[in-house]
Amino acid sequence: MIPQLKTEVIILNKLGLHARPAALLVQATSKFKSDIYLKKNEMEVNAKSILGVMMLAAECGTTLAVSVAGEDAEQAVKIVVELFESKFGEDQEE
Amino acid sequence: MGETEIVYMESLDPSTLENYLEKMCSFEIPCFFVSKGLEAPQALLDAAERQGRPVLGTQLGTQEFTRRFSSFLEAHFAPQQYLHGSLADVYGVGLLYIGPSGIGKSECVLDLVERGHRLVCDDMVRIIREPGETLVGVANEELGHHMEIRGLGIIDIFRLFGIRAVRKRKRIEVVVELINWEDGAEIDRTGLADRTTEILGVSLPLVQVPLVPGKNITVIGEVIATNHLLKLKGHHSAREFNRRLLEQMKQVDYIDEVSE
Repeated sequence: MIPQLKTEVIILNKLGLHARPAALLVQATSKFKSDIYLKKNEMEVNAKSILGVMMLAAECGTTLAVSVAGEDAEQAVKIVVELFESKFGEDQEE
Repeated sequence: MGETEIVYMESLDPSTLENYLEKMCSFEIPCFFVSKGLEAPQALLDAAERQGRPVLGTQLGTQEFTRRFSSFLEAHFAPQQYLHGSLADVYGVGLLYIGPSGIGKSECVLDLVERGHRLVCDDMVRIIREPGETLVGVANEELGHHMEIRGLGIIDIFRLFGIRAVRKRKRIEVVVELINWEDGAEIDRTGLADRTTEILGVSLPLVQVPLVPGKNITVIGEVIATNHLLKLKGHHSAREFNRRLLEQMKQVDYIDEVSE
């Protein structure tokens, strides 16, 4: 039985899911064997594809549905959630 | 509402007309169209106003309007989905490349573009099912014709190769699945299997290509396209080859019989 997990993440960083966080996300997801998808409204994209992730045009405050299926699904979900929660290292108050 | 309907309405006495219109407007009608540039009867406008049904007018005749509007609605409500893959127009044949992330779909299509073929879109193809069991892949407006190449990053195919290298939309005719060669045990070795796959309920020919280092995948893509064109013309190479083989084997049997 291949593990299949679903969760939701909210985009917390001010500029939304632009090139830099998208690249960080894709670099992280590409390391996993599982299939990882992000969904915004009707649009579902492959989270390993940088063009796909950027095409979501997800701004700050957007909720995305995350679905993961594969042997390393648990670790994948954990890393994805962590990235979003950490605002991809942006908006750090000095 | 065309001429016939307007004339009919005008032929009724006001109270009957009002009664009919009230009943009609009480249904969940999204809106009324009055065709041929005709003036909508006041009674209709009043009844529609009361029930909150918009009344729109068009200069087109009823038949023409119905035809055009039906087409519009069909296109608007057509089933669609997004698919992770790359769509290219190779010799006029729409090839949809699919496969695991990082296997080289984009690089394949880039090479095809370099050889003179056209990119519709990379990574995220919007597929629409049009009437007549037709699947069309459409490029994304905002992202244009960009592509991600591992190591290079995001490149703009339109700016690099020009207008001849891109297309806004293309009918999908063959699905090319790139697979890791270790997983390729079940590959069709003769070409007789004529495998298919289904997208949005439409069946499409499927060709599975194992990726082995050193193999020229681009040429394989071109041959998939041209072979498809041949099949459409009625010539199935693999079947033809097998037919000739069977003929040859029949002849050998005959010779054996004669010599006995």
